Amino acid sequence: MDLLPFLLVQCLNALSQAALLFFLGVGLTLIFGIMRIVNFAHGTFYMLGAFLGYSAARLSGNFWLAMIVGPIIAGGIGAAFEVGLLRPLYRRDDSAFLMVTFGLTLVLGDIIRLLWGVDALQVAVPDAFAGIVFLFDEPFPVYRLFLAGAGVVVAIAIWQFLERTRLGLLIRATSQNAEMVHALGVDVNLVRSGIFGIGCGLAALGGVLAAPLVTASLGMAGNAIIDAFVIVIIGGMGSFLGSLLAAVLVAFVQVFGTYYFPDFALAAMYLLMLLVLVVRPGGLLGKEA
Amino acid sequence: MALLELDGLTKRYGGITAVNGVGMRVEAGEVRAVIGPNGAGKTSLFHLITGVVVATSGEVRFDGRSLSGMSSYQRCQAGLSRTFQLTSLFPEMSARENCRVAAQARLGRRWQPWGGAGVFREASARGDEALERLGLTEIAGRPAGLLSHGDQRLLEVAMALAQRPRVLLLDEPTQGLSVEETLTAVETLAGLLADGTLTVLLVEHDMEVVFRLAQKITVMHRGTVIADDIPSVVKQDAAVQAAYLGGYA
Amino acid sequence: MRGLIIAVIVLAAAPLGLPPFAMTLLTEALILGLLAMSLDLMVGYTRLISFGHAAAYGLGAYTCGDLLLHTTLPLPFAVLAAALASGVIAIGVAWTCTLAKGVSFSMLTLAFAQLLYAVAFKWTAVTGASDGLAGIPRRAGPFGLTVFQTKNGYYYLVLACLLGAYAFCRSLVQSPFGAVLRGIRENEPKTLSLGYNTRLYKIAVVAISFALGGLSGALYSPFAGFANTDLLFWLFSGQVLIMVIVGGKGTLIGPILGAAFFMLLEHVLSLYTESWALFFGLIFIGFVTFAPDGIWGLMRRRARV
Repeated sequence: MDLLPFLLVQCLNALSQAALLFFLGVGLTLIFGIMRIVNFAHGTFYMLGAFLGYSAARLSGNFWLAMIVGPIIAGGIGAAFEVGLLRPLYRRDDSAFLMVTFGLTLVLGDIIRLLWGVDALQVAVPDAFAGIVFLFDEPFPVYRLFLAGAGVVVAIAIWQFLERTRLGLLIRATSQNAEMVHALGVDVNLVRSGIFGIGCGLAALGGVLAAPLVTASLGMAGNAIIDAFVIVIIGGMGSFLGSLLAAVLVAFVQVFGTYYFPDFALAAMYLLMLLVLVVRPGGLLGKEA
Repeated sequence: MALLELDGLTKRYGGITAVNGVGMRVEAGEVRAVIGPNGAGKTSLFHLITGVVVATSGEVRFDGRSLSGMSSYQRCQAGLSRTFQLTSLFPEMSARENCRVAAQARLGRRWQPWGGAGVFREASARGDEALERLGLTEIAGRPAGLLSHGDQRLLEVAMALAQRPRVLLLDEPTQGLSVEETLTAVETLAGLLADGTLTVLLVEHDMEVVFRLAQKITVMHRGTVIADDIPSVVKQDAAVQAAYLGGYA
Repeated sequence: MRGLIIAVIVLAAAPLGLPPFAMTLLTEALILGLLAMSLDLMVGYTRLISFGHAAAYGLGAYTCGDLLLHTTLPLPFAVLAAALASGVIAIGVAWTCTLAKGVSFSMLTLAFAQLLYAVAFKWTAVTGASDGLAGIPRRAGPFGLTVFQTKNGYYYLVLACLLGAYAFCRSLVQSPFGAVLRGIRENEPKTLSLGYNTRLYKIAVVAISFALGGLSGALYSPFAGFANTDLLFWLFSGQVLIMVIVGGKGTLIGPILGAAFFMLLEHVLSLYTESWALFFGLIFIGFVTFAPDGIWGLMRRRARV
């Protein structure tokens, strides 16, 4: 096998992995950047997305529909949680959020177990993306190509949303000075609930898209939350571009690490994080040290 | 030899020069104020002296020794105690405990992980003395977070004083106080400084406070020193009036 | 103080009145109480919210298990050595984690625990990988002492460790060192500006906390006879945090009560339902939201009224 085609295929592989990590990390970083809340339940929303996607795809037979329905339901649950349980805590210190969302992790995880059972559930790859293509005579799953593309599309969409739309402007303003935005007659609480919902929805979208690759299982949440935390720490808490950059970096470390040092692939991710922290304690594009 | 010397102190943030080649000599027993309009670089200068930010070039010398490369806690250990522009206290501890923790920092066995009656006794004595000098003895038992804003500002000075510093650095001690509170605070501080044993560097934008307390004034404008003299001379300085006082006249 | 003496007498007399299965539960509750109390030094006294305290427990449990399986060290010495090892390793962990502050610190502790979890799965020679270590003996000695091999004798060993650790922690938090920790808890930048090297204090408290958590894990593995990766799982870290918060952080006693409450509730719930996580989650959310002072705080408030 030639080196160059191999590298190209592995790069594509890493990019598809980066897309999944990006969906996971960007929601967490958006929520943190705007609300100063670390959502421990983020990985559970990712898992919820995978199970919702499974059911939606099974009931409707349409994966595209699952991609829309899953995130909307998960986002709705997230927003409801924000209104009911997080809002009363806004005057407390930030560890209260961490702990309440950890409680949510337990509750939501158990509800998922009660609804869907303990077995891992296979989600079929949608027909349009089933099968493999040959890139430089190397077989490559079409679905992974689709993931990489979806990652690029969603990243651009979020970026444009934040930069160009009125709501995006409002969100950025809220992150800088919530009181001022409030004084201008905007319902800051509504913006916050919306952001929390969108963040959870993005995690769920990641879950829906990941399910055909890894199955929907109860172990997803734990790994997902660690990955999400690592990305947010490396990228810099609250930085959108940082989470994109970190997702790509971590994906490359994971993919190439698994190939070259299979025993140390997991450790490689933590070492990368350690390195970043020693050089830049606030993360690559983070503001605070 | 001056106790605190700044030499060519410069701080650049990207293309912006916040502090530009500032030199200054503070003699022992002197009360020196740094004034200047907003954005003059006062706060940045304060950060450079206390080691919160690292200078781009130049150095701070204390008692003839360069402080370059020392972090903020080491500079405090060397004898520079500071207050913050925005009140910074231990809100759940009593005023007395606040001062005790402050004084403890300068004692030899401050880290002792057991017992500590001796350490606490010495630290409390120093703390209570500082509270008394600032007229806070009566409220010493109250949680710091529940004190009036004026008392909180003075408590922070008391904490710095409890450390028996060689130079006391005050960052806008009357920041955010009402007119009456400012008057009380200024008179308390004037009483504290009356015996001339303390060396003080204070940053302040309230001119009346400065003229009441300071023996020497350094005026900053756009990162550089434009005047450095006794108050009566500074008042008359044309450059100062143009840059700063003129705005009030 | 009088309550404490009564509690100690009741605990010391427990083997006389309780059936064996209850003694097993009580021993485990005391071990978990020690773990939760050690976490309280970080969470309650320094506001270092660790989501990775399972790492301390696992380090102690595996180290003690390996020492008992592969050396001839008597049980009490193996336990102490494991606690010490856990504290020493924690210095490195703490050095890294304290590069970050606030919630980033929490995430790093979690990441470190996960790293250990991953290592435990791969390092078969030391950890037995997914099988874990089994058949960990309660070796006799020193001086031919066999008392720790009996169920009740082991209970007294655990009780003695818990009481010793409590006395140590009590003295620590009331010492000059403890005063600095409280300063860090309430206002770290101010503590730093007062001339304290706060990072060093934080590293020290993490190391002490890990050593005591390691002691707890070291007591667990000979008690249970095994050590496996469940002891390092991230959910377990969260459970320990729940014990601290539900019991009452910053009180030392509270977390011990929290651990006992946790054990009891788990035992009772397991008789009726598999959904323990659901109930724990709800109870935890309830405590964080409505009773941040925990069980101990509620008890003290009632005592005062």
